[in-house]
Amino acid sequence: MKKIFSILIFLLMLSGSGCKEFLDVNTDPNNPLEVKEALLLSSSELAISRNLMSGNAAWICQNFMQMSALNQPNPQIGTYRLLHTDVDGDWSSVYSDELINLKIVIDKAEKNGNSYYAAIGKILTAFTLGTATDLWGDIPYSQALNGTGNLLPVYDKQEDIYNDIQSLLDDGIADIAKTSVKAPGGDDYFYQGDMAQWQKVAYTLKARYAMHLTKAPGHTAAAQADLALQFLTSGMISNDDDLKMLYPGAADQANGWWANFNPVSTSCMSSYFVDSLVARNDPRLPIIVKPAEDTGLYTGRVIGTDAGVLTTYSSPTDLYGGIGATNDILTYSEALFLKAEATLIKSGFAAAEPIYQDGIVAHMSKLGVAEADINAYLATRGTLTADNALQRIMEEKNVANFLNIEIFTDWRRTGFPALTKVPGALSDIPRRLIYPQIEMIRNPQPQQTALITDRVWWDKE
Amino acid sequence: MTRINTQFRIGLLSIIAAMMLVTQFVFAQVPIKGKVTDEAGVSLPGVNVVVLNTTNGTVTNVDGEYELSVSDKSATLVFSFIGFTTQKVLIDNRAVVDVTMTPDIKALEEVVVTALGVEHEKRELTYSTQMVKGEEILKAKEPSFLNSLTGKVSGVQITSSSGTPGASARIVVRGATSIYGDNQALMVVDGVPVNSGESGLTTEGYAGSSRSIDIDPATIENVNVLKGAAATALYGSAGARGVVMITTKGGGRDKKPVVTLSSGYSWETGLFPQRQTKYGQGIDGVYYDGEVNKTSSSWGPRMDTLMIGGKHATKYNPYSFFRTGTTANNTISVSGGGANSSYFISYSNFDQKGITSTSGFKRNSFFTKYTTKVSSKLQSIFQLTYTNSDQNRVPEGFNGPMFVLYGQPVSWNPDPYLNPDGSQRLYRYSRNNPQWVQHNSYNDLKVNRFIPIATFNYTPISWLTITERFGGDLSFERNNLFEAPSGNLGTFGRIINQNTTVQQFNNDLIFNATKESNNFTYNMILGFNAFSNYYQTLNETGSGLGVDGLHNISSASSIKATEYHATRRKVGAYVQANIGYKRVLALSLTGRYDGSSVLAKNNTYYPYGSAALSFIFSELLPMSITNTMNFAKVRVSAATVGNENVDPYSINTSYAANNSNNPIGGIAFPFRDQAGFQISKTIGNPTLRNERLNEVEIGIETKFFQSRVGLEASYFHRKSIDGLIPGVGISPSTGFTGTTVNSASIENKGLELLLNANPVKSGKFSWDVTLSYTHIRNKILAIYPGLNQLDRFVVGQPYNIFYGTRYQRNESGSIMIGANGLPLAAATPGVIGNANPKWFAGLTNNLRYGRLTLNIFFDMRMGGDIQNDVDSYGLFYGTAKATENRGQIVIKGTSVTDNQPNTVAVDARTHYQTITAIQESVIQDGTYIKLRSASLGYELKPEWLTKILLKSASITLSGRNLFIYSPHFTGADPEVSSLGTANSAQNIYQFSTPTSRSVMCTLKLTF
Repeated sequence: MKKIFSILIFLLMLSGSGCKEFLDVNTDPNNPLEVKEALLLSSSELAISRNLMSGNAAWICQNFMQMSALNQPNPQIGTYRLLHTDVDGDWSSVYSDELINLKIVIDKAEKNGNSYYAAIGKILTAFTLGTATDLWGDIPYSQALNGTGNLLPVYDKQEDIYNDIQSLLDDGIADIAKTSVKAPGGDDYFYQGDMAQWQKVAYTLKARYAMHLTKAPGHTAAAQADLALQFLTSGMISNDDDLKMLYPGAADQANGWWANFNPVSTSCMSSYFVDSLVARNDPRLPIIVKPAEDTGLYTGRVIGTDAGVLTTYSSPTDLYGGIGATNDILTYSEALFLKAEATLIKSGFAAAEPIYQDGIVAHMSKLGVAEADINAYLATRGTLTADNALQRIMEEKNVANFLNIEIFTDWRRTGFPALTKVPGALSDIPRRLIYPQIEMIRNPQPQQTALITDRVWWDKE
Repeated sequence: MTRINTQFRIGLLSIIAAMMLVTQFVFAQVPIKGKVTDEAGVSLPGVNVVVLNTTNGTVTNVDGEYELSVSDKSATLVFSFIGFTTQKVLIDNRAVVDVTMTPDIKALEEVVVTALGVEHEKRELTYSTQMVKGEEILKAKEPSFLNSLTGKVSGVQITSSSGTPGASARIVVRGATSIYGDNQALMVVDGVPVNSGESGLTTEGYAGSSRSIDIDPATIENVNVLKGAAATALYGSAGARGVVMITTKGGGRDKKPVVTLSSGYSWETGLFPQRQTKYGQGIDGVYYDGEVNKTSSSWGPRMDTLMIGGKHATKYNPYSFFRTGTTANNTISVSGGGANSSYFISYSNFDQKGITSTSGFKRNSFFTKYTTKVSSKLQSIFQLTYTNSDQNRVPEGFNGPMFVLYGQPVSWNPDPYLNPDGSQRLYRYSRNNPQWVQHNSYNDLKVNRFIPIATFNYTPISWLTITERFGGDLSFERNNLFEAPSGNLGTFGRIINQNTTVQQFNNDLIFNATKESNNFTYNMILGFNAFSNYYQTLNETGSGLGVDGLHNISSASSIKATEYHATRRKVGAYVQANIGYKRVLALSLTGRYDGSSVLAKNNTYYPYGSAALSFIFSELLPMSITNTMNFAKVRVSAATVGNENVDPYSINTSYAANNSNNPIGGIAFPFRDQAGFQISKTIGNPTLRNERLNEVEIGIETKFFQSRVGLEASYFHRKSIDGLIPGVGISPSTGFTGTTVNSASIENKGLELLLNANPVKSGKFSWDVTLSYTHIRNKILAIYPGLNQLDRFVVGQPYNIFYGTRYQRNESGSIMIGANGLPLAAATPGVIGNANPKWFAGLTNNLRYGRLTLNIFFDMRMGGDIQNDVDSYGLFYGTAKATENRGQIVIKGTSVTDNQPNTVAVDARTHYQTITAIQESVIQDGTYIKLRSASLGYELKPEWLTKILLKSASITLSGRNLFIYSPHFTGADPEVSSLGTANSAQNIYQFSTPTSRSVMCTLKLTF
């Protein structure tokens, strides 16, 4: 009995001292608690290209703008059927893939004196915010990205977001001027750390977001055009300046547009876009559009009609929709069309005409269109008049920005290219995205009642 | 049975031959026979008859008769039978020795195994448990013992997933208590917790497998389900969700070897959802041939008027894709023992070929248990379970073959599946041909699993037993997934090799002391527990397969690898005191102090405990009552159990590599020679503490008419507080999509009834009935401050509701119809269904007439909504049964234009397609009655048997899922949660492999 008791005491003592060590195994062997800015930047840049600029929301906009068509019966995205849950992933990616990681890059870089990383972080934050606010209007930013510190961030007014965008870009430009302890290299997929390029991006974006407010309450087209022209003097100056993501084209490293147009999606080109290129004898037609597999013809699908045979419709060429295609995010051609539009506002169609032509030439030469073909096209499309100037500038910008989410903003601002409601439409042509269900449930805010046809702040009638 | 493979048969024959030789040597000379009856003169079959101090013995046949040979007519025969006093009878030179057995009052008290493997008399228990015997489990003929418990245990809900062989099953005891965490009961084998979770690569539409399937049902002596917190408090935190205690079979002292051979073969046919077969492929009544004109729609012309090439069109059965599945199940076991040791050895081979041609599940199980009395004070038990299984699965979900088959038009001839150029031939775009998938993809899960357990019972003094029990659970899983490049899907093919290792160890040291004084019995248990679980997964994914026919990752153009490790450890000290008074009152107090590695450092340790009292009031009742009600007990208990239902490393916010576990838009880093990380989407919570489950239970147990009728009832009220929600969804605007919190609260209230009756017991005929009934109401009381909803969980609503778009309704509930005649969707989503059944029940009937036995088992579920996604697509594509009615229809409802009943007719197709956007339209009441199993068995006549040295032989014909009545559900099997065992996947009927109806024949021989 005594023996048992002593064994018991011994075991108790043993367990008491051993427990602490035995239980001290909660250090994560899989995920680090600290990483450098470079590892976050590479991930954020890919997320911007892959999720924001070729993800679901970008694809939805192509359907709204009748660039792409879904070979499915009505109702579907082409006839404006959009559920709140459809955009859950897009919203989540903006905040949890892009903005939070860019915020950490900026914070770390400012602490470590890596001002180039801070600059890129701010410019890309401005770009991401701009893209998101153009899709949803009011969005959280000033109270956002604080984790459990604020679980219910209220939404900022779009006007405030626009101010944030401009100051983020200004701060980014200021950071470029500072010396940086470390400079980005291969982790900066876009420019490999070439900060002069980033400066051009910052100014071009400043111009873009100035022009977005041409009809915004409290802003005048002339004042915005003045600002844009001023910013563009430091903006992009050649096709080499384009902000773009290259994809190696391996099976697990595919361009997002390839995934959007792969057979499971049943996506193809819409008749509206294909027919407009055909009607204008645009030499870019075979460079942008692939003939239908079955017929060899350039045929787009008429949105709203019954589903047809997928292989009788055209799809994008490998240059745009291939697995190894390059994804254009912000281009020199856009800078030129912004300048053309601003010049039109300030100085009239005649002054805008040469800049407009430069925009066409820049895009066509990037695609390798022969000079003779460019000139022939300019002969029919190169002349602006007081009546057609804005329409032509926006139509050509639409082609140059093929698959870019920006065309949805431009259409809302200018009404061009002119679109009509598709057959079987569930509503008028959408003027925004609705808010995601994931936010409506987890962070209820008054703005979330917005309908797909409601206008964002700058989209004044 | 004819297909038992030859090797197996040869091996078996040699074992039998060896056994025969042994018996030949041992026996000789004088025959003895006799009959064994009870006091009423009723013959007793199955009584053990052994010659004292030898291994020579037999059992009585169905008429209570025995026959054996002895060498010495002065020897003593020992007659033993459960529930009767063992008798020693001198042969005394007689040739016929008849014996009347007397009941052993004490032995009649059922002994059950409770927490930590401690045995208690059932009458003294202060809480509710329910035991299911091994033979009852075997009758269900399920590959996993878990499925065999369906409907049998009150308070326990078991849900199967897909019909894929070896697919997972979910077991929830007394309702779910955790929002995102594990809700499944702890599985324990002979006192040692073992891993029973879902495993296998389940990405992109493959059903997983529950590791409970590694336990061979033939090795199970019984399963005891500990339901309430009071019963499981000793198990510690892992037992808070209920405990399924498996007691394995053992040998017997002084028992000569008994060889049991069981061989079963079954045939399975799929249970398919209803569909229309009147209309062929096409749109707006126009025929599409599927070759030149493809569409996924069956809105084509009527099949009976459709002419193709001048001939009437042929109807093809889309379900012709499936075959009749088969299962062969062969088991051999040997058990026996000598004076100081006993043994049980079992091997079984299970081979199921699924109803899709490449799916299957094979299992080889080996089990051995060896018990030795090392000395008069020390007993040791060594046991080992080894299971080797191989599960082959076909893809499921939206890109899998079932999706294509369920939507296949009846006008489409599925053969051949390839075009002359070798490409896939299919009626539609953008999916793979189902037959092509079978030939060009596989997902194979091979598991090697070992469960070694060593137990030492040391009894230094008569009133004290010290038990040291060490158990391991080691499993090694190899997953190989192959998908050939597909032009239809635009994929380049991939190979995934994933190896998972789980090493789990558990040690218990238990001091168990019992003392009796005049009117009191004291029992004290003191114990220490240490538990460790290490989990490792290594994954390599190869994409872009360039070499045809090479199923090796070297064929890939890109290879990405990931590794994951996790360690979880726990320690616990526990104490239990049981005090009994005059076998009338029993009080039980338990306390446990646990430490867990996964909680915040300053919250590592937490205490909990229970108190329970039982009162056998029948002891105090007058004879006039106890003549009818011979036993009556009330019991009441209260318990609180702590629990750390959260993954390791949840306290920190770390950075996660964007590898193939966390890719960006399908792209896994390294990308363009750069690594990529992002902050984890789940914020760590550095203050995590244990959650808690509080439960009060009252129960009554009664027996009537000399225990011919028994009724047990329990009412429980349990509430989880401080509930851990791993990955609780937070607004992505915070920069994160989730965190782990300690704030959920869920309430479960329920009533459990168990009725046993033996209405007839006369001579050759007996009839036993068991009815179990469960009624549980649950409610989510809290999720997170400021948060009222998480997906399917809404505060104030039951656990797992359906939430989505609903019809717009007026105040009186009438559906509002638009001016176009179509129903309108409400502006906001809402609760559209409740997955929880109102109640469920099981009814078992065991009938015996002489050598014939009949077992019939029905189970029923009342309510429990199902989201029928198959119908949702069927309505859209025109394949659902409802779409048989086409043309103009007027939808019942109220018109928004004038608030009068709607009169505007609409095209049926437009209506069906419109309502698929209203999720409410495919929520269906899942009420069902199932004839889950029935079996008819016959014991062969022993006169034939002795000639071939058989002790007994039986043949059983059985069937499973023989009849299903589900009045509101248009799918095939309302019991299925197609997407597996996850909380959020429950009651969703989707494109998984159909479950099946089976017919089985089993032959069992005992030598």
